Amino acid sequence: MSQANLAVDPHAAVMEESPFAIPSSKLVMWLFIISDAVTFGAFLFAYGYIRNASTDWPTPFEHASIWNALLMTFILVTSSLTILFAVRAAQNDDRAGAFKWTLITAGGGTLFAILHLREWSSLIGEGVRMFQNPWGAPMFGATFFTITGLHMLHVIGGVIALTVVALTYRAGRYSAKHIEIWSLYWHFVDIVWMFVVPMVYLLNMKR
Amino acid sequence: MSEAAAHHGPPQGFIRKYVFSLDHKIIGLQYYGLALVAVFVGMFLSWLMRFHLVWPNAAIPGLQLLSKVGAPGGLITPEYYLSLLTMHGTLMVFFVLTNAPFAAFGNYFLPIQIGAEDMAFPRFNMMSFWTTFVAFVVLLAAFVVPDGPPISGWTAYAPLSAIGKDAGPGLDMGQNLWGISIAIFCIASLLGSLNFIATTLDLRAKGMTLMRMPLSTWAWFVTSCIALLAFAVLLPACLLLVLDRVAGTSFFVPAGLVVSDHLQPHSGGSPLLWQHLFWFFGHPEVYIAILPAMGIVSHILINSMRKPLLSHKVVIGSMMAIGFLSYMVWGHHMFLSGMNPFSALVFSFPTLMITIPATVLTLIWLGSLYGSRLQITAASLFALGFISMFVSGGVSGFFLAQPSIDIYLHATYFVVGHFHLVMGVAAIFGVFAGTYFWMPKMTGRMMNETLGKIHFWLSFVGAYCIFMPFHYLGLAGNVRRYSSFVDDFMAPLMPVHKFITIAALCTGAAQLIFLYNLIHSRFWGPPAPVNPWNATSLEWTVPSPPPWNNFGGVHPVVYHDPYQYSVEGAKEDFIMQNSPEQVKTTVRS
Amino acid sequence: MNTTTTPNASGKSNGMATTYVVYVTILAIAVYQVCFAMMAGPQPMLMLALAILQASIAVMYFMHLAAERQVLALALIPYTIFVLFMMNMIWSDSVRLLHMRPH
Repeated sequence: MSQANLAVDPHAAVMEESPFAIPSSKLVMWLFIISDAVTFGAFLFAYGYIRNASTDWPTPFEHASIWNALLMTFILVTSSLTILFAVRAAQNDDRAGAFKWTLITAGGGTLFAILHLREWSSLIGEGVRMFQNPWGAPMFGATFFTITGLHMLHVIGGVIALTVVALTYRAGRYSAKHIEIWSLYWHFVDIVWMFVVPMVYLLNMKR
Repeated sequence: MSEAAAHHGPPQGFIRKYVFSLDHKIIGLQYYGLALVAVFVGMFLSWLMRFHLVWPNAAIPGLQLLSKVGAPGGLITPEYYLSLLTMHGTLMVFFVLTNAPFAAFGNYFLPIQIGAEDMAFPRFNMMSFWTTFVAFVVLLAAFVVPDGPPISGWTAYAPLSAIGKDAGPGLDMGQNLWGISIAIFCIASLLGSLNFIATTLDLRAKGMTLMRMPLSTWAWFVTSCIALLAFAVLLPACLLLVLDRVAGTSFFVPAGLVVSDHLQPHSGGSPLLWQHLFWFFGHPEVYIAILPAMGIVSHILINSMRKPLLSHKVVIGSMMAIGFLSYMVWGHHMFLSGMNPFSALVFSFPTLMITIPATVLTLIWLGSLYGSRLQITAASLFALGFISMFVSGGVSGFFLAQPSIDIYLHATYFVVGHFHLVMGVAAIFGVFAGTYFWMPKMTGRMMNETLGKIHFWLSFVGAYCIFMPFHYLGLAGNVRRYSSFVDDFMAPLMPVHKFITIAALCTGAAQLIFLYNLIHSRFWGPPAPVNPWNATSLEWTVPSPPPWNNFGGVHPVVYHDPYQYSVEGAKEDFIMQNSPEQVKTTVRS
Repeated sequence: MNTTTTPNASGKSNGMATTYVVYVTILAIAVYQVCFAMMAGPQPMLMLALAILQASIAVMYFMHLAAERQVLALALIPYTIFVLFMMNMIWSDSVRLLHMRPH
């Protein structure tokens, strides 16, 4: 994302205006997000397909797991809020504040990933694998680990990106624009989780 | 470093200039070179296959060096035939038809045609090429792993592609490499399309409104919009396939599958899911291959006819309609795969609908040609050849789009003939047209027109000689993917196969004329003037080849629609887009 | 360095009031989803509808799509939804395999 945009400032007078009036790098982030949304969509469709085609799909999640998922939702949505604080601080030229809030957001992401990994390890301890589980249709583990795993990769990638952005921003080489662009990514990770919780956790709740 | 794209300085040193270059023109040439290597490898593989089909017992000397197991003593085994087929399809579809018309020409000319100094994100652009290159190397590595390339075809149909080596040679390491290569290719394509879209929307020169963009730019733009979301579905498909193979999941493998007398340790998946995910990408991919060729051909025909097409807007609208419909039709590849017969009906309807924008485009080309005084050049001949191939291949699409007829024609040579004409040869003709038209700009040397015309006639006649009989074979019931027909009921069709093979060998050899022309003119051709074709778009306002910053630091200003040919009262018969010359014109569009 | 970003996106985000409302709403929906699922069992369509509601307000107000030019939303959202919508064609095959019937 290091290339600054050409749509605004230096060339504005010699270029046609961008139809969206946003920097190119922000447009690229939006395009990446819709592309990634379709990727996640395909994963969720595959999961639904496999689930529909199975007879003994397990529904193993105890209420404790669901509360844990809700706690993770809370952490992730809150980190979405803190990145908004960071964006706001950066737009008001509050460099220290923006740096602080971006790092707090990254911290929230880390906490989320830790909680998630803890859940993974307890599931693995119960005998859930990519190809088997103690309860029923063997594809349960495959769909669970691929969907949440891809999401967790996005979270970890986001944490790394936000940390780098925060440090580069403090060094003065990034502007508020960069924090805003990466905030879009972070919200997207949040939005994916909003679909993962009902589809992967709530539908697999113990009844 | 963190400055605007246009601000990267002139490249210093060989590595920066030609290898890890940020310059969109060098990257375009790199894509072109990659596609050129891929197309000759792919063509060579098709030679091997055609040769083996008609002389199944003849050894090909030296082939045992490529694979000891697959071609013992130079004799291709049936399994190795399938390996060659897989690699031919994969190379041609991904590394030729996606790369050459879209990534190569798009990278080179999209920024110049809209008056930009470079792509919006040169670093992404470089990454995009080198990621593609890695994908290419990983794919070719399948040739050297012990069990050879996969045998599951370019569509990698599950469950054969999803289980291990029980299913046959190449389905062990080779198939893993295939899946990884295509997943990498998806990422490269994502980077490329992000860049194309951002560049087209944000870097247009003053006056270059969207409707003033040349049709080739429009085609690349629409294509990148399709590629943005189409490859996003292939990526998870490939990831799940690789997981099935290495992590023991069974997304694409049903329970109780016995292959080679082994009960496969999988259960719970569905092979249909792979087909759905693959073709959800696969059909838009067809238009990713053909749309850029349509744009290039329109661009060239207009120049040769010296008049704009009947309607600029309708052409753009048709291309968009094709892009839109391309997401609604993928099921027509699956009429016989056990898909719900009711869905077959649903998919058949939009498939037939897609002929409407395609026909509109064809009618606009032909209607514009009517009464025009077409200048016959190698480029315009190939553009006409494109239309011919597109129509011939498209007409057989009517038959295949209908489930009832497709039941008979599915997996026969009829299908092979259909998609080779409409997608393969047509898109390649578009690339040839683009090459003869633009190579003077890209290398600064004119290509030899006479050799170009000879090349055209040999390729044109040759392509029809190869692919027209395919339709006949298909109607006669000749199935595809068999490695020989000597001893079975299809033996009476062998003379046709012989004819095709001879035509294929000759047509392939004719491509050496092109290769010679390309290399010879690159070094010894007469120097190209700035605007050899008296064309109007911005790429003809810059020197041949253009300097690293295209317009030499000057920002062009655009005053006209892209195709101001045969303008009454103008100084010449055309007006460049950036010419301030004001002439009262009746703009048709 | 240019610190003012897009004039419309930042200019219209007057105050954080909207943001807090959106934040609370999203969390409330999440809690409602969980409570509903625990008491009445998860109903896929309702769960999905609520998730879409959450996602829409997050896109519009967290990601400030509502504050951008409308043409951006028109370019991104219908296209994405169209592509995801088309994927629904796969469902009939998924159920059919279980019962081995045409549809």
